[in-house]
Amino acid sequence: MTPEAQKEDDHALAAEYALGLLTPPEARAFEARMNRDPVLRAYYVIWAEDLASLTNGIAPVSPPPAVLKAIETRLFASEKQGFLSWLGLIPALVGGLIAATLVYFVTSFGLLTTPDEPLYVAQIAAEDQSLIVLAAYDAATETLAIERTKGAAAAGRVLQLWLIAGDNPPVSLGVLPDAATAELTLTAEVIAALDGGTLAISDEPPGGSTTGAPTGAVLAVGAVTLL
Amino acid sequence: MTATTDLEDMISRIALGDRKAFAGLYAATSAKLFGVSLRVLNNRAEAEDALQEVYVKVWNAADRYQVNGLSPMTWLITITRNHAIDRLRARRNASGELDEAAELADLSPGPEALVIAKSEAGRIAGCLGQLDPEKSDAVRRAYMEGETYAELAVRYAQPLNTIRTWLRRSLLKLKECLSS
Repeated sequence: MTPEAQKEDDHALAAEYALGLLTPPEARAFEARMNRDPVLRAYYVIWAEDLASLTNGIAPVSPPPAVLKAIETRLFASEKQGFLSWLGLIPALVGGLIAATLVYFVTSFGLLTTPDEPLYVAQIAAEDQSLIVLAAYDAATETLAIERTKGAAAAGRVLQLWLIAGDNPPVSLGVLPDAATAELTLTAEVIAALDGGTLAISDEPPGGSTTGAPTGAVLAVGAVTLL
Repeated sequence: MTATTDLEDMISRIALGDRKAFAGLYAATSAKLFGVSLRVLNNRAEAEDALQEVYVKVWNAADRYQVNGLSPMTWLITITRNHAIDRLRARRNASGELDEAAELADLSPGPEALVIAKSEAGRIAGCLGQLDPEKSDAVRRAYMEGETYAELAVRYAQPLNTIRTWLRRSLLKLKECLSS
């Protein structure tokens, strides 16, 4: 075939491909060539654009609202699936071991908030990792889920959780119970201050600080991260 | 009509999983794509099903949009047309080995089609007008009805190879006109 004839043949082939006139093996062969050959791809693109303009005269018709609902149900309704794919983002945002523990924590806690809702998490850890507490805010219930994964209060003492937002003094979120897990109900002010805040745990007498501020040593801190 | 750059922006955000962008793209394009789907399938329930499939494909393929070189509306129309044609062909195959050509010739436009039927606009219509009516008709049938060479051969009572040769020649003439 002369180069000119080859070019014509390619143009015709691109049109046949765009129209769906090729047999499946022919179409696959064309696609394989097109993926290697930008000129052939350009031929196809021109045909696709020109043929699509055959629909210019077709008037738009609004589909019934049920169609969008059905599409969104198919794509997003499986809450678990959406949640899992969204959990996949955590490593990119937090990184490493902390990410792994947070993912495990959020999953095991069943914090199935929809991905549309903000989820704040924090790993509140002592510098020497002797005390580690995970926290996640569940927007659906406005509670902070807590899990102490390592360490405990000293004998005769308690652990108290604080939120530090900006330059404001720490706000008590409550005394952690003896149990490893807890759910603390948050006030609207605290929820509003979570973003960008820091959680801290201090060593306090039974019943917690009576002064409204930490009185004992700050044992562990962790930045609140928005997932 | 939403600007091309806006549609491209929506598609690239959809590729990142942005549901608001997806809702925006649907709002901007679903009426056009539903019109195309109705025109090809000529059946409201089936056109609705097809539209669902199309947007599921759009959601899943948005990350590959950048590499295909098509403008966003062409990409969306092509997905819609191809999916509707696949359904139409499946429907025809399921109907068995009837005299398909005759059956199709009798397929008069229903009320839906009448609402949406309009003559094609733009330069391709002008160029199609320069072909023999039979040949421009065959190109339109291939695009809008998804007729295959085998079906066109029956329709025009020609051997398949003859049909292929004259349709390819017609397409090249069309290209010449379009690029002039």
